[in-house]
Amino acid sequence: MDWLEDELRRALAREDPPDGLAERVMARSARGPSGARRWLAAAAMVVVAAGAAGAWRQHQGNQAKQQVMLALRLASAPVQHIQSEIRGISQ
Amino acid sequence: MLTEAVETGCDLRALVRQHQATVFSIALHFLRDRATAEEVAQEVFFSLHRNLQQIETPAHAAAWLRKVAVQRSIDEGRRRSRRPQVALEDVAEPAAGIRPGDPLLSELLRKLVATLPEAPRMVMVLRYQEDLEPAEIAAALEMPVATVKSHLQRSLALLREKLARRGIGESGWTG
Repeated sequence: MDWLEDELRRALAREDPPDGLAERVMARSARGPSGARRWLAAAAMVVVAAGAAGAWRQHQGNQAKQQVMLALRLASAPVQHIQSEIRGISQ
Repeated sequence: MLTEAVETGCDLRALVRQHQATVFSIALHFLRDRATAEEVAQEVFFSLHRNLQQIETPAHAAAWLRKVAVQRSIDEGRRRSRRPQVALEDVAEPAAGIRPGDPLLSELLRKLVATLPEAPRMVMVLRYQEDLEPAEIAAALEMPVATVKSHLQRSLALLREKLARRGIGESGWTG
């Protein structure tokens, strides 16, 4: 066996984990997702809700804009008709 | 059937006790930080708790834990790589008179392994900590066997060269 490989086996031998690791794992497993995970999930829900509210407001804004444009077009139609009549008379 | 057996907390505890040294040491030797290695180990076993239904045999549990420990350690290493790391130049010269089996040589080797890039570093950990064959390492790391062998040969040559520069090796032990 190569001396370097022997030394590497010695250097990288398994080490004992910190005391109480198994107990901490079991306690965490009993608790379920960590507090950090619950906060992340709650934060994700807030972001999604805020995004949905923003999209709804934009949709409503677009609808109002379309209604205003339609009203302006309807209102301007008679004026344009009168203007063309006047141009016809004056010619 | 293990799946039925491990559904109780008692058997999960048995799996944790049986494999905690393996999982913790993979993370420790890859990351060189005990606190982070414990965090990784806890994540790995918590992941086992969530995926117990997938586990079919004790051998499956061992392979599953090893693979997840490797993945979590690599992920953590990538997160940490955004922060300053120990460079090879920072690896202190060992005291004169270093001999085979010397704890100082073991510490120097751990530091030198830590300077290897991610993939060859994990290959070295699995080969010399877990005593895995190249085919088993290839399966754990999802890479071709030829790549594993290449990483092993290159890493050994590199370590030999770095040790020789410090007067450590067959051709000239210091002291």
